[in-house]
Amino acid sequence: MSVSAYKEIAKGVKLLCVNSEKFKTNCIKIDFYLPISRHFAAQNVLSSLMGHTSKRYNTFKTFNGKVESLYGADFYSDIATVGEKVRLCFSMELPDDRFSLDGSKISEDAVDFLIDIIKNPNCENGCFDSEFTAREIRFTLENIEAEKNDKRAYALSRLRQLMCSGEPYGIDREKLENDIKELDGEKLFSAYEDMMKSSTVVITACGSLNGDMLTAKFTDFMNSVKDRAPERLETVFVEKADKIRYFNEQMEVNQAKLVIGLRTGMKNSDDNYFAYRVMTDIFGGGPYSRLFMNVREKMSLCYYCGARLLREKGIMFVQSGIEEENYRQALDEILNQLDIMKNGEFTNEDFESSISALADAFRGVGDSPVSVCTFMASQAFDGELIDGEEYAEKLSKVTREQVIECAKKVTVDSVYLLSGEAEDDE
Amino acid sequence: MNNIKEIKNELLNDSYYEIDHSSGLKIFVYPKENYSSAYAVFGTKYGSIDTRFRLEGEKDFICVPEGIAHFLEHKLFESEELDAFARYAKTGASANAYTSFDKTCYLFSCSGNFRQSLEILLDFVSNPYFTPETVQKEQGIIGQEIKMCNDDPGWESLFSLLRAMYHNHPVKIDIAGTVESISHITADLLYSCYETFYNPMNMALAVAGNVTVEQVLSVADKILKPKASKKIERSFEPEPETVVQDTITRKLSVAMPIFAIGYKENIKTPERTLKEALESAILLDIIAGKTSNLYEELISEGLVNTTFDTEYFEGYGYSAHIFTGESTNYEKVRERINGEIMRVKKEGVSREEFDRIKKKHYGSFIMNFNDIDSIANDLVGEYFSGCGLFERLSVLESITAEDIDARLRNAINIENSSMSVIM
Repeated sequence: MSVSAYKEIAKGVKLLCVNSEKFKTNCIKIDFYLPISRHFAAQNVLSSLMGHTSKRYNTFKTFNGKVESLYGADFYSDIATVGEKVRLCFSMELPDDRFSLDGSKISEDAVDFLIDIIKNPNCENGCFDSEFTAREIRFTLENIEAEKNDKRAYALSRLRQLMCSGEPYGIDREKLENDIKELDGEKLFSAYEDMMKSSTVVITACGSLNGDMLTAKFTDFMNSVKDRAPERLETVFVEKADKIRYFNEQMEVNQAKLVIGLRTGMKNSDDNYFAYRVMTDIFGGGPYSRLFMNVREKMSLCYYCGARLLREKGIMFVQSGIEEENYRQALDEILNQLDIMKNGEFTNEDFESSISALADAFRGVGDSPVSVCTFMASQAFDGELIDGEEYAEKLSKVTREQVIECAKKVTVDSVYLLSGEAEDDE
Repeated sequence: MNNIKEIKNELLNDSYYEIDHSSGLKIFVYPKENYSSAYAVFGTKYGSIDTRFRLEGEKDFICVPEGIAHFLEHKLFESEELDAFARYAKTGASANAYTSFDKTCYLFSCSGNFRQSLEILLDFVSNPYFTPETVQKEQGIIGQEIKMCNDDPGWESLFSLLRAMYHNHPVKIDIAGTVESISHITADLLYSCYETFYNPMNMALAVAGNVTVEQVLSVADKILKPKASKKIERSFEPEPETVVQDTITRKLSVAMPIFAIGYKENIKTPERTLKEALESAILLDIIAGKTSNLYEELISEGLVNTTFDTEYFEGYGYSAHIFTGESTNYEKVRERINGEIMRVKKEGVSREEFDRIKKKHYGSFIMNFNDIDSIANDLVGEYFSGCGLFERLSVLESITAEDIDARLRNAINIENSSMSVIM
């Protein structure tokens, strides 16, 4: 795999094509980054709408039919927050041209399709079709509501909202749902225009598709967008929590979900990142981690207990599913393990296991076009672009002392428990 | 002596090797040029449906508690000294395991130290170690895994549906069992199951990625010893053709009712052919796939959202065509699906739709060959079903629109269906 750098092909538009002959497929991914803003509700609906219909393909049947005709391509559109950036993503993976049954260039067709659905969405005279808008509003609301079906994800989302209320990151679900209900075709169009003009765009592709073709088409397209002025993308890093806040909510659940939100002390997404990554992994990564070995294996309190670092916001989450009556015991043990990290009482074995597992995983990142695209796109805002091998090298250079130093900066911000509803006394 | 056969596919320009290992184990090696990582999976044809069995020559069938195959999967990671996870921690490999209705698989992926990791995999799966204490400890962990699944309405909806469709077949029991059923599991029972199902004749090893046949065989020759193997006899109670009940509803906390509608196939033989399975997948796409008229209508009329999906669900002794989704008007959705099934039965599948969907399946076949994890898992899965990995392509090519019409007539009967609703 040869990795160069993202090339600026238009104002605020970066493109990278990683050429590799070893795959059967090509992957193309377009990310639009914007600050979390007043358009957030509309962007949620837009992501759904633009992934279902367009001006040319204005029914599910024709839109999906086109995707299907590209040899059963996998097409996705989604929206996510990355720190305090919103990312609207359109991506496609499909068989390489050499598998075409009639000699047609499937990859060129796919690029044309992606550009077409972004350039020509399902709207007329500055307004999205009202019937489609109403339908997509319904899907988006149902999708947000359905988060309640996945209790683990719901608990995490609640903790995030409670912990970061007052920060753009702490998205208020209720407000979001109300904002979505207020939308119409015009508001949606204004969010679409904002996306086209104010976003930073990252285009990443991998496979044996023709990089020159891809670059030429996207260069033409993005330069045809008038008055582009990408907005600054910033995330506020709250380095420290003053005191622990406790939250308890109830729902009909069989198993209580415990989520702990921690401030890592990172000042920005590059601040000691690799050391923080290793620290989080020793604490709650693989089956060799402190949390897995103790909360699950030694104490039999849970099936899962792990920690995740959110580099782009400088926070860490710990999640576990437990019996409600074991709440105190589980929480105490998790905090005890955090103290062990801070005091440097983890073993050399813990440290080495984590480094070798992390390095090993990143060395394999180049073995699928989708993971190459995801990995590269995640570095689009970094100064330098490195491949999985170099990434693994950086992880391997992290020292025990650096890990302890990172752990010492971690503070617990919020503890959230989603527990079963109390039974009536009657 | 190990007997090695190369199997090529010209379209993909790939080959893999099928090896009859001297231990009696079937081994597959699928080298991938220029890949950095490797993925290995060691599986046994033993899953949650194998609740009643004996070895050839034994007098009585033994009946084991529900969820024991999955429990055994958890316990096999332990040994008298270092458990498997602690051993993998030294090689850097990422290891895991899973249990399904009809198989249990142990796997790892790695970029370095391949041989050491393969040695660990073959060694711990070949050497069980259970004690009453470790069995008891696992009951707490698995108890929480079961409760986690109980909070997943999609999972609960599927098992409600299976209980509504199947009278006797053990496919209706939860893969992990229940908190109650696993409390009856003992170290001795685990050893009985292990001795029956974990023998080379009932297992397979598949490795894909940055590996060679020589590397795999050098480890296999060292670790795997021939084992006397007896034929496994499984016993299933006869399953009536009919479903148990038409509708089953359960309460769980969900945003909107979640439904699963299943059409139970009346099967004369326990196993479906690869051709039948592919026909069913195409058929479901034609009836209710994302490019079908029904999908467009249900979406436009607000009856379903984009979670609406289909699945062909089959294994030893069971086969069903399943439609799932979220709806406040699930009865209406069921009516519409029935109507569409009747329409296609009457009018036959359209040639244009058939061609487009067949092309999609051709593309999906190719796309599977990027990922070493799906290659290795499919090698084991297809072997247990009696097929070769590349066979899917030629079978797909042979399917005609008339085959789909015939499959629909034979396999889906709207009178023999159940619906589960989680509300």
